[in-house]
Amino acid sequence: MQQGKLHLALFLAVLVVLSGTVAWWVRAAASRLAEQQAGAAGQATAVASASDEGYCTGPLKQILRRVLTSCGLIKGGAQRGCQPVQARNVAAMSGDDFNALFLPLANRAAIIQFDQDSAELGSRATALLDKAFADQRGASYFLVVSRASTEGPLAYNRELSRKRAEAVLDHIRSKFADPDLDQEVGLLWLGAEYAQLDKEFCTWQRSRPEEACTSAFLNRSAFIAWIDCRL
Amino acid sequence: MSQPRSGAVVALALFALVGTVFAAVSTADFIAFLDRQVHSVTCSFVPGLGAPDTTGTSGCHAVLMSPYSAVFRASTWGGIPISLAALSVFAYLLFRAADLLARRAAGDPDDTRFLVAATLLPVLVSLAYFAIALLRVGSLCKLCVGIYVASVGVFVSALAAHRGAARGAPARPFPWARYAVAFVEGVVFVAVPVVLYLALKPAYTGAMANCGDLIHPEDRYGVRVPLGGPPGGVPAIEVLDPLCPACKAFAQRLAASGLGERLDTQAVLFPLDKECNWMVGESLHPGSCAVSEAVLCAGPAAPDVLQWAFANQDELRAIGKDTKQVYDRIRQAFPDIGGCLGRPGVRARLNRSLRWVVANALPVQTPQLFVRGQKVCEEDTDLGLDFVLSRLIDRPQGGGRTGR
Repeated sequence: MQQGKLHLALFLAVLVVLSGTVAWWVRAAASRLAEQQAGAAGQATAVASASDEGYCTGPLKQILRRVLTSCGLIKGGAQRGCQPVQARNVAAMSGDDFNALFLPLANRAAIIQFDQDSAELGSRATALLDKAFADQRGASYFLVVSRASTEGPLAYNRELSRKRAEAVLDHIRSKFADPDLDQEVGLLWLGAEYAQLDKEFCTWQRSRPEEACTSAFLNRSAFIAWIDCRL
Repeated sequence: MSQPRSGAVVALALFALVGTVFAAVSTADFIAFLDRQVHSVTCSFVPGLGAPDTTGTSGCHAVLMSPYSAVFRASTWGGIPISLAALSVFAYLLFRAADLLARRAAGDPDDTRFLVAATLLPVLVSLAYFAIALLRVGSLCKLCVGIYVASVGVFVSALAAHRGAARGAPARPFPWARYAVAFVEGVVFVAVPVVLYLALKPAYTGAMANCGDLIHPEDRYGVRVPLGGPPGGVPAIEVLDPLCPACKAFAQRLAASGLGERLDTQAVLFPLDKECNWMVGESLHPGSCAVSEAVLCAGPAAPDVLQWAFANQDELRAIGKDTKQVYDRIRQAFPDIGGCLGRPGVRARLNRSLRWVVANALPVQTPQLFVRGQKVCEEDTDLGLDFVLSRLIDRPQGGGRTGR
């Protein structure tokens, strides 16, 4: 009888310790979970988003938004591309100031060069264009700013620079079947009358680096760059 | 009762105590995860002395997160840990040994015979789990090894105790009624903690299941990579990085659960490598941009490239900072896709894959699984995977169903 009681006491003691321990662990986990749910949402994980680089200052964004809206890039615009007069008006700044906007893009931009009086892309031009466009990273907008050298009449140069911008767009459209192209690519054609590139841009990536970097050669071109700004 | 006879029972009690400690530590570690947070895991031959595994790289972590660490995983969140049953069995053996010693009955061959039968259970289970650890999980856990040793120890001690007790004892009929009571006591030792565990564990609520949907699931860019699945399988999208260890472990868990076979999965590549991903300041998995290009280049062979990348993650990450070296390694393994690597076309496609993630405003982390457009919460991708996934697969649409 005594042994039976001892057996039962041991049985209950070990079982109670075992069950109590398990219950304590589970309750502790449940109360941690309840606390966590009642408290703050916990550590926030970064959410995927487009790039917004340090150079995207407030004033730069404001000007970009104005240019991009007026030039038909941002959704809802009725046209595609800006002519020189429009570009000058929406940017509301001198040509040098306009060019200075793009100086922070030195490592992102490329200058696609053309023959005189031509809007045809050569093989090296398309190679550089493909490379630059494929390097989108987190950028949201691709700007094409085309120009002409000062030879020839004003109207002719405007038209020539428009053809150069459109040649770039046509190539991108055919090469990269990007469904967002219309919301990504903005065109500005400046002819030879506004914001001509100066020698400061000679060091930038060009499709004809071996060519002498005169003002004429440099401006028979389309300046292309992904803009890493969220607007 | 002679001294050598009780010595074997004392040894049995000590081995049972050792088994209880190892099983208790393992169970406590498992139960800690019921709060759906990340915890370190004990992994030491001397629990409490070794540094806990905080990185999830130990064999103990691999075993704990494997589908073999618990049963009924599809029925209750996390399942019932197998270590809880082990804890109950060792506690029961400890009780029986203590009972024999306290009653001075260590020389009773009827009692020691039952001990031999009772200790056979942990030995057989340990043998099975040792084989699973080696052949299926691919790693051994120190706590489990402690349990294996304790299992063999209690069995050998029980054999020794019985040999000593049976020597010279007259033959007599088996006391089946006593054995039945002892068996029922054993069942109670296992059942009570399990019932308590199930009754007290946190309920899985609908709010827990709600981790968001895909805002723009459409594949306008053609970036999703089919990973295969049965005809008419449940549509699933996995956002992954081919060089992310968590993605590899997740793929293994999914495969082991058997539920992956019911999914028609497409992968969206999201390499956490600053080479192509502007959303990370540092490359968490260097080389994964190049490997992601390879997956995109591979076309129908993409699952093969992904498997290869998972199998060679350490090597690829080690050379990952040199993209050319990674390309060379890929070309060596898959000569057919060598010409596609690094081309503007594939880079643009990979970029659009990242932009798909941006369009859906997903967290910058991998892996992420969406079943029928609903996200499987990060907290449910390990212990709770079977429970949550089986519900998502069996339910056409809608919010979470509750359960425990």
